[in-house]
Amino acid sequence: MPPPLRCTSSLPSTCVKQLCRAGQSTRSFSTTPRQDQRITRNRRQLFRWLGSQGQNFLNPLNGSTNYLGAYNAQGQLKRVVEAAAEAERKKKKEEGKANEPANSSASESGESEEAKEFKGEIPPETTRDLTPFPLNKSFVSQPVLSDDLREEIWKRVMQDGKSVRVVSAELGVEMSRVGAVVRLKEIEKEWEQTGRPLAKPYHEAVMSMLPKTPYDPTGRTNAKPHESINDLPVHRKTGTQIFHPTSESRHFTREDAAKVFDERLLPADLRVPHPELAEMHKDYKAGLSQEERQQRQMERDEIAERKRQRAEAKKAKKEAAVKKVDTGRVEFRFTEISVDAAGKDGRGFKGVGWRYGHPHMDRSRGTVKIPTSVE
Amino acid sequence: MVVKIRLARFGRRKAPFYNIVVAQARTARNSKPIEVLGTYDPIPKAPIDGEGKKWKDVKLDSARAKYWLGVGAQPSDPAWRLLSMAGLLEPKYRPKA
Repeated sequence: MPPPLRCTSSLPSTCVKQLCRAGQSTRSFSTTPRQDQRITRNRRQLFRWLGSQGQNFLNPLNGSTNYLGAYNAQGQLKRVVEAAAEAERKKKKEEGKANEPANSSASESGESEEAKEFKGEIPPETTRDLTPFPLNKSFVSQPVLSDDLREEIWKRVMQDGKSVRVVSAELGVEMSRVGAVVRLKEIEKEWEQTGRPLAKPYHEAVMSMLPKTPYDPTGRTNAKPHESINDLPVHRKTGTQIFHPTSESRHFTREDAAKVFDERLLPADLRVPHPELAEMHKDYKAGLSQEERQQRQMERDEIAERKRQRAEAKKAKKEAAVKKVDTGRVEFRFTEISVDAAGKDGRGFKGVGWRYGHPHMDRSRGTVKIPTSVE
Repeated sequence: MVVKIRLARFGRRKAPFYNIVVAQARTARNSKPIEVLGTYDPIPKAPIDGEGKKWKDVKLDSARAKYWLGVGAQPSDPAWRLLSMAGLLEPKYRPKA
């Protein structure tokens, strides 16, 4: 949709001129009568747009996004115009300074550097340049993970054996996204192995048009985080508005607040995706030295590791107690139980099997018989 | 009277679920048995990770089952199949090669 413009087209190309020719249809297949194709204001504006702003979309920028919001009415990149104006202003300032006899040589070198910087490459996009729809300023195109970064995520999880949590904190990518990247990368690699063709040209074309989060291989952590990773997820129980009177002298913490919402709701500190980052920051705020903080972090890691191992051992033990018999089509899993668990009357809640002597729940009155969820 | 180890069908229509029971041979199928040895859910469940075979869940108190076999309880054919899989009996029927 061409926006209403009042601009003078600076470089109308020949093709646009042709299209503009008065009252003529260049299309042999057009069934519209010629007199209906007279030049209207809208038509004129369309071709003017095609000659100015539209040109930029015919020959898109290399290595940058190319959204409508990034151009002014004359079809010039806003950020380039601004950088030029800035350079000009600086130049003038430098010249003013250069008139003073003291530091002329230094100012000259600085000015030439800046001019080079501006002329050399297009300045990076700001939020304003990432709006595909100029009338909807709140729609900002969000960056996607670059190829390098996705490869690095896969490498750290699958080859270095790091946990998803650690990789997420290091690279500034949400845990769910890390998981998704690893799964999709696995599929991609499997397809490459089996020789299944990948839609590479399509992928490259799309990636060249989108803003990307680059991977910085210099450090362990990525210089530019992809997204905010420690956002508190909204729990349904916290949606209600509660007026909870409490005495002024009481120390009302986040734990208490969680209890007010629901007895079993965890405090916000524990519900965030990375509580360990909050702990680290607390240590930092407490003014502990680097060594102390590292020591405390290591202790916490150790405790977490022990907990994980215990859970794993418990699971393995439970798994080992199940006898598996493969009959070809299906596997039978035999779990050992105790007859005595049912108790003397055979109705103990730990006992297995269908109960005798009292009706099943779905026979009772007033209960919902229609399942509320399907699994 | 003969004591049998047999299956008692519970559950709903098209959703069978069996109790493995020790009962007098001439009592009704779903009447109160002498003892419930375990359960057998014949509906195959998909593995959680989506890989591998489907599985059927059997819960069994093998010590009590051994006792009842020792005192002469006679397993029905389906019960025999399950008990032999659990390693308490010689299989009655073997798949032909």
